[in-house]
Amino acid sequence: MPLFTALGFAMVPLGGGFFMIVLKDPDMARRVGLISTKAQLTMGAADWPTYLRFLTMAIGAGGIILFGLVAAWVFGREYSDRTAKDLLALPTSRSAIVLSKCVVIAVWSAALTVVICLITLCVGAALGLPPAAPQVFWQSGITIMVAVCLTISLTTPIAFAASAWRGYLPPIAVMILAMVVAQLTTAAGWGEYFPWAIPALFVQGEKLGAISYAIVVLTGIIGLAGTILWWELADQTR
Amino acid sequence: MNTDIETDNLVKRYGNVTAVDGVSLRVAKGEIYAFLGLNGAGKTTTIRLLLGMAKPTSGEARVLGARIRIGERKQWDSVGYLVETADAYPELTVRENLETMRRLRPGTAPQAVDRIIERLDLGAFADRCAGTLSHGNAQRLGLAKALFHNPALVILDEPASGLDPAGIVEIRNLLTELARDQGVTVFMSSHILGEVSRLAHRIGIIHHGRLLQELDMEELDRNRRRRLLLRTTNDTAARALLVGMGFSTDITSDGTIAVKDCMAIERPDDIATRLVNAGHAPTMLYVEEENLEHYFLRLVGVEEGNAN
Repeated sequence: MPLFTALGFAMVPLGGGFFMIVLKDPDMARRVGLISTKAQLTMGAADWPTYLRFLTMAIGAGGIILFGLVAAWVFGREYSDRTAKDLLALPTSRSAIVLSKCVVIAVWSAALTVVICLITLCVGAALGLPPAAPQVFWQSGITIMVAVCLTISLTTPIAFAASAWRGYLPPIAVMILAMVVAQLTTAAGWGEYFPWAIPALFVQGEKLGAISYAIVVLTGIIGLAGTILWWELADQTR
Repeated sequence: MNTDIETDNLVKRYGNVTAVDGVSLRVAKGEIYAFLGLNGAGKTTTIRLLLGMAKPTSGEARVLGARIRIGERKQWDSVGYLVETADAYPELTVRENLETMRRLRPGTAPQAVDRIIERLDLGAFADRCAGTLSHGNAQRLGLAKALFHNPALVILDEPASGLDPAGIVEIRNLLTELARDQGVTVFMSSHILGEVSRLAHRIGIIHHGRLLQELDMEELDRNRRRRLLLRTTNDTAARALLVGMGFSTDITSDGTIAVKDCMAIERPDDIATRLVNAGHAPTMLYVEEENLEHYFLRLVGVEEGNAN
């Protein structure tokens, strides 16, 4: 699973790098068949700001899916492998086990982000993108960091879904539902009030009020508290 | 009685289904207690209640003197368990699985992992992924996880499940040694009644969620049905003679004469003498004792494969 998530996330900078190659010389790309003659290239120029914007947008939208998959697996596998019962009558408290798993999800998600940022820098340097001001990198770095923190906060309800429905398929269904609702609320103009829409809006540069950040943090806290209470109080029958 | 497990009128309902219905049992320190019941009788639910994995609808359970309730975990340091199937993280090796469990039990020496691998004969598989183990070896790993930290009490759900005959004997010897040499209390559910009768000090029989009977092996001996089986040179005449002597007789499915009267069972030599004197010498004379399996099935109302 760690390898698959790393490979999945590595597609982001590699995909971005592909577009950088195409944007550097669209005619050459068409000639050698990299893109169709009908391709619409509206992404921007082959430079660091464009490449980093592609990266932040991908993390803002894709992070929810990838980090959600990590959370679904970390909690859901205990039920699908039927190992949850081995964690319930131990000197180590169930709350400590839940918190440890949440720390693993956060560290794993952060590590994936660091890896793709490093790949992005390497690919960009290898492609010889024109130098950019340091502020471009700092600004993108801060945007990515905040987006990742917001997205990691939203993994706790996924952890709760994995625990309550005992497996990793139900939380994936919940995640897909959240993504669909996020699209609908964003289209309706209410996205800043729906937790799963907020990271994407943030990386797009939307002006978000404190209420949006509070909604994400509160969702994270409720998800964590719910997961701990579920592990401590609910009948464990698997 | 110094008890390690004590339940008081334990009830567990799931909606309209009563899985455990007023179970009160006592397991003494150092005792091997076998918990017998058909599938769905309430064995695993009782075990989950004892381990705090489910909350009782009413009643209470005490394990190692501590009442089972939310957040109470001081007793788990001294309890090892195996519930339902023996499962492990499939992509971790046997050793890594045990090491993971060791870290979740702070204070357990690192050498405990090697010791239990050796004791349960898992050495050849120690570096194999748990997902590739045979059912029997996965069961050994499950038992290793329950025993590696030298618990004072082990709660085992079908410990011999999936083991071959040699493995069953090995586990029987292991549990006997633990109870005899280290004073470990063993609470186990089992379907392998032949093994239970060789291993257990006491037996509890649960049916439809109710504890029908608790008895030690001496009580079991007293409660077992016995009958005198005999064949003679002339069974028809012999049966008429026995009836004439005041005994009630039956004929078994293979044509053997069965006598259940105490007098006949306790003095088969007298019966033999009378038959010989009457010219119907016995060709077979045997006092048959009901085994635990028949006793259990009779008690829960399932005999000759027919559910009650």
